[in-house]
Amino acid sequence: MADLELEPIIGIDLGTTNSVVATVIDGVPRVIQGRSGQLLTPSVVAVARNGKRLVGQIAKRQAITNAENTVYAAKRLIGRRWGSKELEDARKILPYQLVPGPEGYDVRVQLGDKVLAVPEISAMVLSELRADAEVFFGRHVAKAVITVPAYFNDGQRHATKDAGRIAGLEVLRIINEPTSAALAYGFGKQVEKKVVVFDLGGGTFDVSILDIGRSVYDVVAVGGDTYLGGEDFDRRVMDWIVFQFAKENGGIDLRGDKMALQRIRDASERAKIELSSTPSTSISLPFLVGGGDGRPALHLEKQLTREKLEELTADLVDRCIQVAEKTLRDAGVRARDVGEVILVGGMTRMPRVQRAVREFFGREPSRGVHPEEVVALGAAIQAHALVSPAQGQGEVLLLDVTPQNLGILVVGGYFETVIPRNTTVPTSATRIFTTVQDNQTAVRIAVLQGEKERATDNELLGEFVLDGLRPARRGEVEVEVQFDISADGIVGVSARDLQTGQRQSITVTATSGLTEDELKRILDENLDEALERKQAVSDFERRRLAAEAMMQEIEALVPAVSEALARSRFGKDAVQKAVGVIQRVRQAVAARDVAALQGSEEQLDRTLQLFKSLASGAHPPEEPR
Amino acid sequence: MRPATQLIEQGIKAYTRGVLDEAERCWREALALEPLNERARSYLELLAGARTGGGPLPVPPEPVAVPAAAVALPAPRISAEAAAAHAPALADGGASRPTPVTLSEYAPSPWDQGPEESASIVLDAEEGVDLHTLDEKSDLRPLVPEQVEPAPEPARPASDVDVWMQGARELHALGDFSGSLEMIEKILKVDPSHPEAREYLQQNEATLIAMYESKLGSMGRIPRLAIKPEEVLWLNLDHRAGFLLAQVDGAVNFEDLFALSGLPRLDTARILATLLHEGVISS
Repeated sequence: MADLELEPIIGIDLGTTNSVVATVIDGVPRVIQGRSGQLLTPSVVAVARNGKRLVGQIAKRQAITNAENTVYAAKRLIGRRWGSKELEDARKILPYQLVPGPEGYDVRVQLGDKVLAVPEISAMVLSELRADAEVFFGRHVAKAVITVPAYFNDGQRHATKDAGRIAGLEVLRIINEPTSAALAYGFGKQVEKKVVVFDLGGGTFDVSILDIGRSVYDVVAVGGDTYLGGEDFDRRVMDWIVFQFAKENGGIDLRGDKMALQRIRDASERAKIELSSTPSTSISLPFLVGGGDGRPALHLEKQLTREKLEELTADLVDRCIQVAEKTLRDAGVRARDVGEVILVGGMTRMPRVQRAVREFFGREPSRGVHPEEVVALGAAIQAHALVSPAQGQGEVLLLDVTPQNLGILVVGGYFETVIPRNTTVPTSATRIFTTVQDNQTAVRIAVLQGEKERATDNELLGEFVLDGLRPARRGEVEVEVQFDISADGIVGVSARDLQTGQRQSITVTATSGLTEDELKRILDENLDEALERKQAVSDFERRRLAAEAMMQEIEALVPAVSEALARSRFGKDAVQKAVGVIQRVRQAVAARDVAALQGSEEQLDRTLQLFKSLASGAHPPEEPR
Repeated sequence: MRPATQLIEQGIKAYTRGVLDEAERCWREALALEPLNERARSYLELLAGARTGGGPLPVPPEPVAVPAAAVALPAPRISAEAAAAHAPALADGGASRPTPVTLSEYAPSPWDQGPEESASIVLDAEEGVDLHTLDEKSDLRPLVPEQVEPAPEPARPASDVDVWMQGARELHALGDFSGSLEMIEKILKVDPSHPEAREYLQQNEATLIAMYESKLGSMGRIPRLAIKPEEVLWLNLDHRAGFLLAQVDGAVNFEDLFALSGLPRLDTARILATLLHEGVISS
């Protein structure tokens, strides 16, 4: 139990659709169950009609009936610029309201009567996971490693880190999801091969190729489709149900009925999951919609087969394979060269997906890791290695790649790449440019990141001016531009006039969109809440531990008490009553109901005192009160 | 709706129209169908008291079993001043209180009392009388037709809204907040801004929510389905109750059910209390 004596540390997979928290106990990575017993926490935050803030499963269950006040897929928005293409794409599908930040730079979310920065939304999910971890450890948790997609840029990583800070976590490191998955896969093994991480999550699909050798995890290529995931599969089932219902009930269109639609969505997801392990499932939604004109409510009863589900979603599976094929082709890797395929994300449990992967790669995908948990487990392993390297599995070197091309703006408004995507960091690259006008004495260096030919279609990371160039004909002045990327992903750019030696440079500091002042204000606001939570955790834990001790004592006394009672005319049901009290206490503990626990303490104490006196024979049994 | 409940509703409607014989017949039939129906019994007792103009103090109706505070015939918020004027009489307790002889004395409608004394109006030295203030402080109320005595043929035919409003007041005073709310909802359909109806709506809702929630117990309790899942189909539910029942999964507590229901709090409380009462869920 040495791990429990250390300061608790967690690994978090902060997903688009679901999030998971894990830790390492006695050298074994394990997922921490939520307070309701769940392993996955939906990355959903809402403000209910009654003003209550909801996070996780409960928020997801009212996402359709309360769509405008429910924020999901915040990960699509984190660290994005207002007006960017990615943001515009996200706005098309998100029902909640987005507004520009105070300086018009970043994105804010309208939630209830508040406008929140995206890191604040993500922080609510992180706080929920942290609270689960605190219940697990029974004490405060303050340190974490968080995972992000490999293609996240600096701003997105920085914003994720800010979310951690707002949630009261010191983010020791941000690591890439595929790296994390591979880390969990390679945990405790000597792995030296090329590995593909096939991550079909709830909202996104990512394919990553890693070279693993001698504890070095090198992401060599990433690809994917940010609008392909399990929710698309759910929607296909939903459409099918709605269509079937309309066909059987005189054209009643359930799409206009939010309550019905919420139930259909929940049932669709459930059916899809069940069909991964059974060939057929029934969907039963009694009293789904009003019958109209005072007629009784209508029921929905359908059977859905795995075959039908596969037919409904065949094109989605095909798309996954096409994306995987393109990623491998771009990286110059042949499917048969891949030594292992790690499946990540709940959707990869679908037999049709596994079959497609097997056919494409010509090998069985790895079955040794749990697809929903693997990323969080990897993060926990990394976190554990950071705080107690001696107990870890030796030094692990995580090598990441640049997710996008890095370069500068050149004449004509084009983007010139200096460091191509998928370059392993740390790295450095130098390119020579020349002036384009006669007697040009200054050049503007605009540092960009992206994949597009036109500079304006890419993301501007920063800019500076190099002046003092010697007057000369165009093309004669040579300027050397150098890019350096550190292991932490910090990008430094310098420009130098090769003739004069004049030099200018810039360090691109990523921003999440939140200013330091804003972040401070948010942290101050959250401080009181954090203290209350800490107090609540300790209060509950104190009571729980005391109750557990008393219950153990009572249970240990049961044989002696039973014997004493057998000799008495009274108190025959004392043991039965004690069992009832213990059951109530256990229910209160399971529900984390401090008030109920407090209410049962006196009964528990009375029972213990009675049992002690009965067992010692010092006190004759009395008629129970 | 059960036949007895229907008959009780019919009786209430007849009563508010002033047709007491029909009201009595309906309630007697309801009692014949369900001899233990407290609601029907209490209405009949009230009716008897109202007709004889005397007799023993009727037993206060107990339409639902809730804590005393929740069902203690609260006066609507707007009648606070009038209620205050009568507070000493009520505070005397049963010993000194005269035996009620009419329905209005048993459950006095706050609107029948009128202001005890003239409202004082402060004249603004500079701007003269503020008519708005005058209007507010004069406590003028629309006249309420006297419904206590039987009036088979009213001299002036009252509008539907007037009849419903009167019914809502009487039912509220009787502690039948659901019945009162039903009347209020009818009025608001016709006249959404009816001020008195809106105040009664608020009062009825608040009282009903408190009543239903008291039946549910602690909001932290976790309800569970108390019947077999396949038996759900045999229930008589509407789609809203169907939605709420679908959310009862043995993991979500009452508080969270209120949050995720998407329905008004009163509807959620009513549905859950009914499901609990009918043994569909347990907690």
